[in-house]
Amino acid sequence: MATVKAGNIKRGSYIRFRGKPMLVSKTEFSFPGKGSAFMKVVLKNITSGSTQSFTYKSNESIEELDISSIEMQFLYVDGSEIVFMNPRNYEQLSVAIDLLDGKENMLTAETKVYIKIFEDKPVGVNLPPKVKLKVTDAPEATAGNRSKAAKRNVTLETGLVVQAPLFIKTGDVLVVDTASGEYVSRGN
Amino acid sequence: MKNWQKLKQKPDLWQQFFVREQVLDEIRSFFKNQEFHEVETPILTASPGTEPYLDLFATDLMIQTPSGNKKKQLYLLTSPELAMKKLIVAGLPKVFQLCKSFRNHEGLSTLHNPEFTILEWYRAESDYTEIMTDCENLIQSLVKNIHQRDSLVYQGKTYQLTSPWPRLAVKEAFLKYAGINEQSLLDRELLVKVALKKGYQQAEESSWEELYHQIFLNEIEPILATFDQPVFLYDYPLALAALSKKKAGDECFAERFELYIGGIELANAFSELTDPKEQRQRAMADMQQRGQLAKDTFPIDEDYIKALELGLPPTGGIALGVDRLVLLLADVKSIQEILFFPIEEVI
Repeated sequence: MATVKAGNIKRGSYIRFRGKPMLVSKTEFSFPGKGSAFMKVVLKNITSGSTQSFTYKSNESIEELDISSIEMQFLYVDGSEIVFMNPRNYEQLSVAIDLLDGKENMLTAETKVYIKIFEDKPVGVNLPPKVKLKVTDAPEATAGNRSKAAKRNVTLETGLVVQAPLFIKTGDVLVVDTASGEYVSRGN
Repeated sequence: MKNWQKLKQKPDLWQQFFVREQVLDEIRSFFKNQEFHEVETPILTASPGTEPYLDLFATDLMIQTPSGNKKKQLYLLTSPELAMKKLIVAGLPKVFQLCKSFRNHEGLSTLHNPEFTILEWYRAESDYTEIMTDCENLIQSLVKNIHQRDSLVYQGKTYQLTSPWPRLAVKEAFLKYAGINEQSLLDRELLVKVALKKGYQQAEESSWEELYHQIFLNEIEPILATFDQPVFLYDYPLALAALSKKKAGDECFAERFELYIGGIELANAFSELTDPKEQRQRAMADMQQRGQLAKDTFPIDEDYIKALELGLPPTGGIALGVDRLVLLLADVKSIQEILFFPIEEVI
């Protein structure tokens, strides 16, 4: 059983908390000065989806979950599920759309993701840090808008809407940050 | 982007930073109107406070003499309290100070900067209950004079400031919110049992202090954040007395309180310990614990013990975090938004 000291827990890691498998969605180290050091974490139960916070002593040993990770390719959305394919053996895997945390509209046929598996079930989907998406609708910039950081909404091939600079045109390919969902640069 | 650059780009931001200036002015007039003396005491000291868990910034004083350089280990203060209480003994019954204090190794957070502004005030011939009243009056007058309001609006929530503010004894809080009675709270073995039952799996390896704080942080502090008034948490177990005196009539507890607004710990206050023997014992025990925790050890402040021997009258005193107070009045989430140059900008 792998363990980690509470003070070293990282956001995005998976731990067991009071018997339940949890994803660590936030960490905050605190050292109140009147006592020893503590680590406050926000945990998301990966089977029920419920969240709670807990404060560990920073020197507590925490059980890390045995999570495996498979590289998969996006195929299509099927109702409330997303279907991926393993490019090595062509096996398909359906994942509940909720696991994408609203990032399903950053996926294209080219996108490779890592699917986290715990006890034979998918529990998380890690997107690459950046994806390239084509602009399908970029309205003409309003004349006279010359302010320095002028941006407007453009629609991308997946339906995702991002704020992009005025020089971006329909047909351009944009680099989008998958963590923030924001425009990074032109990626033609 | 650094804060000064943001200010250059977005001049509207100045308003948020000017709140500090208003708060400092209002604090000064609040105390001066009550005939308090404002004092300045050294920031550099050979004998800082002895609190076992505080980490210090250490430095060397170099003195040139005909026979070569002399060196003395000095520290930046964690709080100016000892010097201020010496001034009470010397004959000033009401003193306040606004100064910088320093705490190392606290971790970076939205509520911490290693160099911070502290407000301390001390009243002779009084105790911690009078300091509670001072807190109510001070914050009411700040909010009234700065925002022309009787209540504090912070992050979309309104905090009623009308006196008296709720006072919650530590033992009451543990019973009400964590289901732990006084007997279990004060005894490590019993507390371990309760903690294990609650699911704190490593309770057996925990000291009493760790259990106390872990349960407090998990089960009580979040409740304090739900109050729609400021709240005084008072009468701490004796093990957490620091420099407060034992409670009259119940020696398991000490006359100490902390003030919370919106779940933010704003101030820590005592009926000051005046007994020189007990002061020495606590300081020695703290220093021994500092040694065990591998923290700096230093000579205890003998001059302060001498002052207590001469006689510190019954005194109430408090340390209040001014940056946090400014954060509340500026209605921002992190102190980095009201410090011109937060430490994050240089690391």
